[in-house]
Amino acid sequence: MRARRTTAALAALAAAALGAAGCGVTGAEDDSILGKDTLTIGVSPDQPGLGQLTGSTREGFDIDVAREVAKRLGVDASSLRFKNVTSASREEMLERGEVDLVVATYSITPERKTRVAFAGPYYVAHQDILVRGETTDIRNVRNLAGKRLCEVPGSVSFPRVTKEKGIAAVSAQASGYSDCLAKLQAGQLDAVSTDDLILAGLAAQALKSGGRPLKIVNSPFTDEPYGIGVRKDDTDGCEAVNKAITTMYQDGTAPKLLNKWFRLSRLDVVTTVPQFEGCD
Amino acid sequence: MTAVQRSPAASPASPAASEAGPPGTRAPGAPARRAGRPPLRRRLVPRTNVARIRAFTAAIVVALAAALAATWLAIDDARDGVRVIGHDAGPQVVATGDLYFALTDMDAQLANALLVGRTADLGITRAQAVGRYDADRRQAGTALLQAARLADETSEEKTARDLLEALGRYERLAGQALQLDDQSAHAAGPPNAKVVELYRQATDLMKLDLLPKAYNLTLDNGTLVRHTYEDERSAVLTGVIWVIVTGLVLVALLVGLQLSLAVRFRRLLNPALALATVGVLALTVASTLMLTAQAGDLRRAKEDGFDSILALSRARAIGNSANADQTRYLLDPGRSDTYEQVFLTKSQSVMYLRAGNLAAYNQALQGVPSGQGGPKYLGFLGTEAARAQAGPGQRQALGRVLEDWKRFQQDDRQIRELTAAGRRGQAIGVRTGTAARDFAAYDASLVKLIQIHRTAFDRAVDDGDGGSRGWELGLPVVGVAVLALLWVGVRPRLAEYR
Repeated sequence: MRARRTTAALAALAAAALGAAGCGVTGAEDDSILGKDTLTIGVSPDQPGLGQLTGSTREGFDIDVAREVAKRLGVDASSLRFKNVTSASREEMLERGEVDLVVATYSITPERKTRVAFAGPYYVAHQDILVRGETTDIRNVRNLAGKRLCEVPGSVSFPRVTKEKGIAAVSAQASGYSDCLAKLQAGQLDAVSTDDLILAGLAAQALKSGGRPLKIVNSPFTDEPYGIGVRKDDTDGCEAVNKAITTMYQDGTAPKLLNKWFRLSRLDVVTTVPQFEGCD
Repeated sequence: MTAVQRSPAASPASPAASEAGPPGTRAPGAPARRAGRPPLRRRLVPRTNVARIRAFTAAIVVALAAALAATWLAIDDARDGVRVIGHDAGPQVVATGDLYFALTDMDAQLANALLVGRTADLGITRAQAVGRYDADRRQAGTALLQAARLADETSEEKTARDLLEALGRYERLAGQALQLDDQSAHAAGPPNAKVVELYRQATDLMKLDLLPKAYNLTLDNGTLVRHTYEDERSAVLTGVIWVIVTGLVLVALLVGLQLSLAVRFRRLLNPALALATVGVLALTVASTLMLTAQAGDLRRAKEDGFDSILALSRARAIGNSANADQTRYLLDPGRSDTYEQVFLTKSQSVMYLRAGNLAAYNQALQGVPSGQGGPKYLGFLGTEAARAQAGPGQRQALGRVLEDWKRFQQDDRQIRELTAAGRRGQAIGVRTGTAARDFAAYDASLVKLIQIHRTAFDRAVDDGDGGSRGWELGLPVVGVAVLALLWVGVRPRLAEYR
């Protein structure tokens, strides 16, 4: 009787141990973007040239990058969904699993890295200056002293020039960067300064709609590494995205996309692969 | 002495007996079968004493083989893990980290050589800078070869090839800049415009093309080690489960046999079987402990050693290139804003404190106490500060690094303030004197911190190597011993039926 009970207990133990072994082998990999048949990618809806939603079509550099990355992860176009994200919602949506990746002019910063992992950067943007085509006296950020520079409330670009660089530019308020652009063309201000890719996107849009020609000064004064946000513990997924970005530069896709979206505004783009942040 | 209850009188034609025992054996004690019993059941359950003993013995032999095989395989996984991380890819990846450092230092020494010109009383002479440039170039070549050898995917191989090609272009530009600068023989300070233009091309190539690829290649190589580590460690831990399971099954079978003998033969204890049971139990416990320790050694080698060494080597390389941005700032006034900006970005990736410009960064930095407590900071040094203690002296060494980093940043303030006040000559003096010395001190402290992790790494690898030593002999010996005890324990009982 006792022997049978002991044997039963041992068998139960063995079964429990086997069960535990089963868990140990799989476990962590379950939530990786690898092996997913469908992907939801968070993008901006309102950044001309980067991520813009018009009606039901999305277009822009970020959208193309997102599509390429998905393709290289083995997800076909029909299984790819886009979702709008805002600067404020990006981390939370990744953490909650509402989006699998974020490709939305998402600068890698040490603070953000405490909440999400970043693949890439797929491009290092820089804060630069956009002026009217005929302007010749603004050649770098220092020349903004005394000029009317667009200030969008909530954006860090204006204080970067005035507070951090200590350059006495004059504030010219606008509701958003599209508004800045309209005011620049109307001669109500002298310069707009923010990330060069955003400026290039705006300038290209203005050019297409037949406004006054604008030009980018090409005098970068910050580094904004645009990363692809991945859930924090998905190291394998993050590394796979890095691999996708690497091959995009190696086979000429990334340079082609940069030209497609930013050549028109005569921005000097860098066509070599950026230095990655690392996934762990 | 014998205690046979039921005389061996069953018919030789009994199917149960003929199936359980080899042909020609008399099957003892099989009672007449009741009709209506399912035939499958009859076949699975041995119905005679001899058959039961034989079945137990056979099962024990199989279980023993399984237990030994499970242990053997788990040890093999553990050794593979220790070999790859401790002796093979691990140290090689660490060596490729030197590639990034050597490249940044090439560009830094080129800038030094162009900045000091023919002035000989500064901290460094042109000839010394060129000598270091050459040494760096050789080191970069060796590290690049190593990294190329580790590349295991086509995209990585292509990165390595592109790097080699870009390095050739860089060297051509550097050679041209040095030659042209030689002809003008200027005093310390910015060289002529043509030289600056050549240097710009060279440093842009380095910054935009070479360094990112070198960095990414090291990241890729690190991935290789991470995957091996995760695979082998999880294999070892799964192996531990199998060792426990097979060990317990074996013990259960031995106990079952023991009980079966006790009931059938009215004996209290079969000493040989009892000894075998204890032996198996001891082996299972010892294997479990050893394998768990191996998994622990692997984890320590990877997390306390490898990861930290790699991260701090990156911090060292990025700091070195920030140091070079100081030189570039003085060398090329036309780009001073850009160089000041990248100096800040690099300083923040070494040790992150929220600050929009260098003055604010320096102010925040000087307020960080070097001991524990104080505001939390991020970046490479922040990660290091948050890490569990890897070895004796790690905290103190980190405190030292922090102190030296503060001093280096303070010098930087001085250089920029002098330059802003139009005293560039004096700024160059500080740059090549105090600042160079303070940076060297910071670098030495960082190297010391890396060395502490290196020691932790070596110790974990040594423990890993030593932990499984001798087991390839021990396992067969234990196996043979258990078999012998089984034989000794069971044979006399079976002989009673002869």
